[in-house]
Amino acid sequence: MSFLQPGMLLALPLALLPVLIHLINQRRYQNVPWAAMMFLRAATRMSRGWARIRQWLILAVRVGALVALVIAVARPLAGGWLGGVGGGRADTTILVVDRSASMGARSVGSGATKLERGLAQLAGALEAVGSGRWVLIESGTGRPRELESPAALRGLAALGVTAGTADLPGMLEAARSYLVENRVGRAEIWILSDLRAADWDGEGGRWPALRDGFLSFPQSVRFHVLADPETEPGNVGVRVSGVRLREGGEGVELLVTVVLTRDEREAGPRMVPVRFELDGVRSELSVEMSGSRQELRDHRIVLGQGAKRGWGRVSIPSDGEPSDDEFYFVYDEPAVRRTAVVAEDPRAVEAIELAAGIAPEGGLRCEVERVGREQVGALDWESLGLLVWQGELPEGEDAERIRGYLGRGGVALFLPPRGGGGPEFMGFKWGAWRAEAEGWAVESWRSDHDLLARTSGGAPLPVGTLRVRRVCEVEGELTPLAMLAGGVPLLGRVSTEGGGAYVLGTTVAAGDSSLAVDGVVLYVMVHRALAAGAAVLGRTRMVDAGAESMEGSGWVRLAGREGSVSSEYPIQAGVYEQAERLWAVNRRAVEDEPAILDGEQLGGLFRGLRWIRVDAGGEDRPALIEEIWRAFLVAMLVLLVGEAALCLPKRAVGVGRGELVS
Amino acid sequence: MQRAERRLRRFLEERVLARLSGLTLAARRPMLGTVAGIHPSPHRGSSVEFAEYRKYVEGDDLRRLDWRAYGRSDRFYVKEFESDTNLRCCLVVDTSGSMGYGSKGVTKIEYARRLAGTLAYLAAQQGDAVGLACVADGVVTNIPPRRNPAHLTAIFDALEAIEPKGTTRLVPILHELAETIRQRALVVIVSDLFAEPEPLRGAFQHLRFRKHDVAAFHLLDRQELRFEFRRPVRFVDLEGGPALLAEPNEIAERYHKALGAYLEGLTRVVRESAVDYQRVVTDQEYEQVLSRFLVGRMKARGVRR
Repeated sequence: MSFLQPGMLLALPLALLPVLIHLINQRRYQNVPWAAMMFLRAATRMSRGWARIRQWLILAVRVGALVALVIAVARPLAGGWLGGVGGGRADTTILVVDRSASMGARSVGSGATKLERGLAQLAGALEAVGSGRWVLIESGTGRPRELESPAALRGLAALGVTAGTADLPGMLEAARSYLVENRVGRAEIWILSDLRAADWDGEGGRWPALRDGFLSFPQSVRFHVLADPETEPGNVGVRVSGVRLREGGEGVELLVTVVLTRDEREAGPRMVPVRFELDGVRSELSVEMSGSRQELRDHRIVLGQGAKRGWGRVSIPSDGEPSDDEFYFVYDEPAVRRTAVVAEDPRAVEAIELAAGIAPEGGLRCEVERVGREQVGALDWESLGLLVWQGELPEGEDAERIRGYLGRGGVALFLPPRGGGGPEFMGFKWGAWRAEAEGWAVESWRSDHDLLARTSGGAPLPVGTLRVRRVCEVEGELTPLAMLAGGVPLLGRVSTEGGGAYVLGTTVAAGDSSLAVDGVVLYVMVHRALAAGAAVLGRTRMVDAGAESMEGSGWVRLAGREGSVSSEYPIQAGVYEQAERLWAVNRRAVEDEPAILDGEQLGGLFRGLRWIRVDAGGEDRPALIEEIWRAFLVAMLVLLVGEAALCLPKRAVGVGRGELVS
Repeated sequence: MQRAERRLRRFLEERVLARLSGLTLAARRPMLGTVAGIHPSPHRGSSVEFAEYRKYVEGDDLRRLDWRAYGRSDRFYVKEFESDTNLRCCLVVDTSGSMGYGSKGVTKIEYARRLAGTLAYLAAQQGDAVGLACVADGVVTNIPPRRNPAHLTAIFDALEAIEPKGTTRLVPILHELAETIRQRALVVIVSDLFAEPEPLRGAFQHLRFRKHDVAAFHLLDRQELRFEFRRPVRFVDLEGGPALLAEPNEIAERYHKALGAYLEGLTRVVRESAVDYQRVVTDQEYEQVLSRFLVGRMKARGVRR
């Protein structure tokens, strides 16, 4: 139980007054000469059981009445999640609010979303508790901002959920930084979340440092987690996994691949009506779902004459989680995929040039340009999709140009020079060559993501069949994507702020490896890298909410939630346009993962910290806390009445008082 | 002389005596007196009150033959009349320590003194013999009944001198008195009767067996009945027993229970032992108590056995 006036509890020892008075009274006896001792002795010989219990009961009831009075004066709160008796007023209260897409789900037993309900409960509770300063950190911006009062949270509820994920460790780090910078005293951190594992990132490795940071504070910091993890069953989500244009018999066709996912708790087939909306034209078809995932591959939509650029929306009927019931997409003629090859040994990159020049599908145009090292400065970096660099690593202006190219999202593939060695670039440099006549096999590779990931059908790439006879060692920090036997990295990724820089430890020359001979792996690698690099070149882009910032001004919302402010466009699902650019912003894929932190995992994250969890609950719990001093006053009155009843003298048994004198 | 005595005795009130002198201290049973008096006797005598007819036997005085009866039945009958005599009134006053209790105003011993003194005066006034036995753990003072008016002075002196002292041994003393007082006397017990009812039954029945007319004034203080205390009290035994510390609120209920059981038992005992029982609370006017006692006895007068 918590109290609004915990100081009043100091008066609790007053409850012992009846005991004290009783003891004093026992000592203040008077001497009375008495004749009828025979009745007194008889009375003391009689059973004293009930009489003694009655005395103790009276004493207990008096103590209880005083306790109830003191508690009532201390203004107790029902709900119990303020963290115990020591409650009181904090110097600073930081509210960490998860506005991720999953918070748009309807709270079980209530028509409101989890976010609306949680914010209303928080506002009600915090208004009662009070604090010196209110600071809000919401997942939309992730930055602290001060609030005048908790009532402002209700205004935040009007902003609604975003399509992005919530980076809970990041927000808590922001809270920690705020506490450090502002040197606040006693602090309370209130977290409103639906406990999605993706938002909390329990495996991410940031938590130990975060915990140590909070534990090192000299002042008291207490966490309150208002969790609302329950979702209504029967949720279905829709997502567009691919959009492409094709020349068909009736003109230009748009092929849309749609993925439907549903709650694993639901079994049995179910018909889901899927609605497509394209330039104001709506069409609908029903998809039968039998498992938890159903893909509608290449749904064909015929476009009008000359309409090769536009946007659309796929939606399903609204259910318990409205935020995953629609998905926006944009389409355009694909940009030319240009590859620039800079090589000191043309044989070492010949197969790459070939692979890069062959378009993976109709309608795509791929160009390859070979340039010498001295011509690097003249390259059209703005239209480049992939840079293949074989030879000594770049230095000077070239290095700066490539860094800039990577920074805007370009992709580069580095192959070793014939002689090995050379300068360092972006934290790595080439070492010496090693050779093996029999050739090394690839021992392990990352098949879950990046260049060597499985195909969309789930089949693994034949990386294991490759043979590498010569490999150049790489010195420096790399994220290995493929390792040869003996722990020598074959393919790795250099850490960059944007784009992608890949390092291949061998060349595609026949004497170095079988990459050219077993060309599947090479072809896939090259086109995946090229696709990633070209993705930032097109005028239309489908981006994850919060992943990209919308640079420049003049963005106009074409579709999406009404009322969202322009600063939130990057995190609100919708379609936005600026000049020639057309962007579709959608929720991240991790938002569709229903994994939720259980109590044990949550406890592990807050291990060593003072924290308390309260579930938002159902309809029968409109408010988190409630003042219950009236109940204690009533209890006190009941106890006093009970005391009076216990103290009432009984009539003499046997002969009544009036009958004593005949 | 007697007038002078009355002025001197603080336990006698002239006006009370004057008012009560109109009433008679009557015996409920035949008494055996030494001289003629106003009380019924077990023997036939020469009063004006007809008793019975008896067959004439040789030697009877011919003057007592009822000639009218002879005329009607042709048989000789002798007409007999009741005999009137005086009584011997023996006042038994309890002087044990417990009689010293009095919560407000008068103590029980003082009240007993007034009752006994007034009764002694009234008895002497109507020509009866009066005696006094002051008892505590034994017979403290014993003045045998005499009808000499000067004897009254000795009784008053003794009453004036009594002090509440010692423990109560009422039951064995009543047995002792039952044996020592001559048969057919009026025995008036003035006591708080703090003894178990059943042993008292034996004592009363012993007195009845000796053909005594037994009357008892049971003196109780109002506080003894109410038992109203607020603070914890250390009760000091007036008869010298161990003191008792008690919380009145805690013990009151059981005290009343014990008192109620005692009074109920005593009421049954006195009813079954034909004791003229008067329960007296010491805040009552003793004149009213005596008046009620005397009137009640006058109503029961004339029962000859």
